Amino acid sequence: MNEALCFHCSESIPDSVVLSAMHGGKSHRVCCIGCAAAVEWIVDLGLADYYRLRNEPASRARSRLADYSIWDKPGFSALYSRHDDDVAEACVLVEGLRCPACSWLIERALRSLEGVHDVSINVLARRLVVRWNPARIRLSNILTALARLGYVPHPLQAAALDAVSQREQRDALKRLSVAGLGMMQAMMYAVALYAGAFNDMDDNTRDFFRWLGFIVTTPVVLYSAQGFFAGAWRALRAGRLSMDLPVAAAIALVYVASLVEALRGGGQVYFDSAAMFVFFLLAGRYLQMRARHHAGDTVDALARLQPALAQRRCGDGRYEQIGVHELRVGDVVQVSVGDAIPADGELLSAQCFVDEAMLSGESEPVLRGRGAHLLAGSFVTEGPADLRVRAVGAATVLSSMLRLVARAGSEKPRAAIAGERDAARFVAVLLTLTALTTIVWSVIDPTRAFPAALAVLVVACPCAFALAVPVALTRALTILARRGVLVVRADALETLPQVSCVLFDKTGTLTDVNASSVQVQTREGTSAAEALACAAALEGGSRHPFAEALRVAATGLPTRSAASLVQHPGAGVTGTVAGVALRLGRSTFAIGDEAEDTSALVLADSHGEVARFQIGEHLRESALSTLSGLRTLGTRVEILSGDAPTRVAVVAAALQVTNWRARQSPPEKLAHLAHLRQSGECVAMVGDGVNDAAILAGADIGIAMASASDLAQARADIVLAGNDLTGLLLAESVARQTRRIMRQNLHWSMAYNVAAIPLAAFGMVPPWLAAIGMSASSILVILNSLRIRIDPPLPLMTSNRVAIA
Amino acid sequence: MNILLVLIPLSMILLGLGVWAFFWAVNHAQFDDLDTPALTPLADRDHTGDPP
Repeated sequence: MNEALCFHCSESIPDSVVLSAMHGGKSHRVCCIGCAAAVEWIVDLGLADYYRLRNEPASRARSRLADYSIWDKPGFSALYSRHDDDVAEACVLVEGLRCPACSWLIERALRSLEGVHDVSINVLARRLVVRWNPARIRLSNILTALARLGYVPHPLQAAALDAVSQREQRDALKRLSVAGLGMMQAMMYAVALYAGAFNDMDDNTRDFFRWLGFIVTTPVVLYSAQGFFAGAWRALRAGRLSMDLPVAAAIALVYVASLVEALRGGGQVYFDSAAMFVFFLLAGRYLQMRARHHAGDTVDALARLQPALAQRRCGDGRYEQIGVHELRVGDVVQVSVGDAIPADGELLSAQCFVDEAMLSGESEPVLRGRGAHLLAGSFVTEGPADLRVRAVGAATVLSSMLRLVARAGSEKPRAAIAGERDAARFVAVLLTLTALTTIVWSVIDPTRAFPAALAVLVVACPCAFALAVPVALTRALTILARRGVLVVRADALETLPQVSCVLFDKTGTLTDVNASSVQVQTREGTSAAEALACAAALEGGSRHPFAEALRVAATGLPTRSAASLVQHPGAGVTGTVAGVALRLGRSTFAIGDEAEDTSALVLADSHGEVARFQIGEHLRESALSTLSGLRTLGTRVEILSGDAPTRVAVVAAALQVTNWRARQSPPEKLAHLAHLRQSGECVAMVGDGVNDAAILAGADIGIAMASASDLAQARADIVLAGNDLTGLLLAESVARQTRRIMRQNLHWSMAYNVAAIPLAAFGMVPPWLAAIGMSASSILVILNSLRIRIDPPLPLMTSNRVAIA
Repeated sequence: MNILLVLIPLSMILLGLGVWAFFWAVNHAQFDDLDTPALTPLADRDHTGDPP
């Protein structure tokens, strides 16, 4: 590290900035006033340990805090918080909440506020629930405190407090525990019975143990297994065959049969088998449910695109700020440039440009004329736009899309569905075999009909089969999540081993931008500071790494404001600063087609070039090892970048990549992707920008960096937290292992059943042996799945920092 | 074997207590977040702010 990094957020510090903060008796450099304030406040609160505990840098704190006072308006508090005498409660989605140390810091900082009763934080879901006394502190104070720490708070509607997933998880945990404890007890009594059978236990003691088994199994069947009976009943009423049906039938059959046997005092009872069956099925479903909840959190990323505030025109022509929930059909609202449209409506202004990337996948802003229908959630890129509201709330297109995404999140991965389908078919065969066994035995020897039929049912219990896929998938998802690789769609694990070509975006993915090395060359008569301030104003709303670098470089300079901003994805931005129309972007865009194509960003007015900015970037440390790792696995690697050829060539040479394309616009990238896929390649795309969102969605597997725009993350199948590219190799190796283990599991359970069922049908397996065989096969499947693990870390190839430009 | 008549009901009662305690813990959010609390004791200090 040969450049200074901010102590708080670990971003590089521009040379022009001389700021520091005290921590642990030493002075540390920070990158901006916001970060300095955050450090000072954290230390003042006695929370300096945060810097020792954290394992990821904080988000850059904001120098100017947003105004949160609107959240105190009565209309808002009714919708976003819940009041109970003198305690109010709200659920807030916290952007930037990354590691347990963050949650520790937030919890301590908020508790130190006067009037806050209680804070509880869920890091995985990035949510916090706060309870406070409205007479002593207001919600806006709490939100401001969060913003001061560098986090961005988004209050969620009060309905989020009734977290459905939380209730579901608690319920499942309780049912699982009852099943587990019941199973253990039932087995204990069963062992006594089996031992007694060899030692001439007298009938009274035997019956005593049988009834004990009945007592502990009854809650397992009636409480824990409720879900299976309910599911089976629903399927029956709908006239479908579901997996729950044979499961419920097997549980009921074993339980009732044992009860009958216990009552008439003969043969065998199998209460332990029933309890064990329920327990293993519940355990499998519990693991699956946890994975589903984890993935469901991404839905929040989309929900955040829905703005909470709107500017409504009053009768006297003025505009007032209101909450989106207060909007009514027929209201007139104004949306300024860069803001999201709050509700579906009809355009009243002459024309405006809107970015509907999130809804249509089209990354170029589109021109809309008077009377056009605008959609909530899209952004106005040139305006402002006046519109008359036509649909609000749940009636908007955005809401229906959110519902779609939520549903997609709860859908099962293809592998699990295929597994269940096979299992259902298998159960149908099994039930037929059981019936056949009963019929044949009742002809030959009616006394042996029931034990034989039961043995078939128990020995071939489909749990091993049903567990084979979900247990392996769950194990893979869990260990990857622990290493910062979030698999959003479990299907991706199945596709990953087939990937033959990986496309990388350059800036922000393979490289990091050094904000400290922005070099400015200006036309005579313009100062570097002036040019930088204008450029920062033009890039005010962009999340491209170059834009952020420019803004960081302009820290401390007098701020300018830009009007009529229009983003041209893949090219640049136009806008007006202090009455002068400016263009900023690649040279051919800023000056004209005849300009020489340089690697610098060019700022130009109507007379030509004003200034050019060389922005330095360096390779991410994990890039070289990741790419050579991919090549060892036999995967082709290509770079697709929107940047200048000279800069891409440097990166490609440093990484030994022969296939690279520079100056690619989003449609060109998509065309290249389509071409690759047509030639039979399975393509993964790694990217981070808004302009990559479409191609991330279009590739067989989209992989986004954690720093990527929300949009890119919402479209990705895998998100790499910590911006560490080696996560890609981990995912690849785990995916290969998972595929192998799933096949082994399926083959094993198949082989076991094929071997054991005939023996049971011929009456050669006593039911207690059948129960042991069944549970052994399930345990084998689970243990085998636990073998999926992350290989010892690759020898780290430290790439020297390769500076570009 | 008469001792069984005492021990088994006793085990049943303990089992019931165990289930009740577990339900209580689940209902009181003890199992909602298993990641964050692991870090809390590492640096738990009175946060009224004694000097570092």
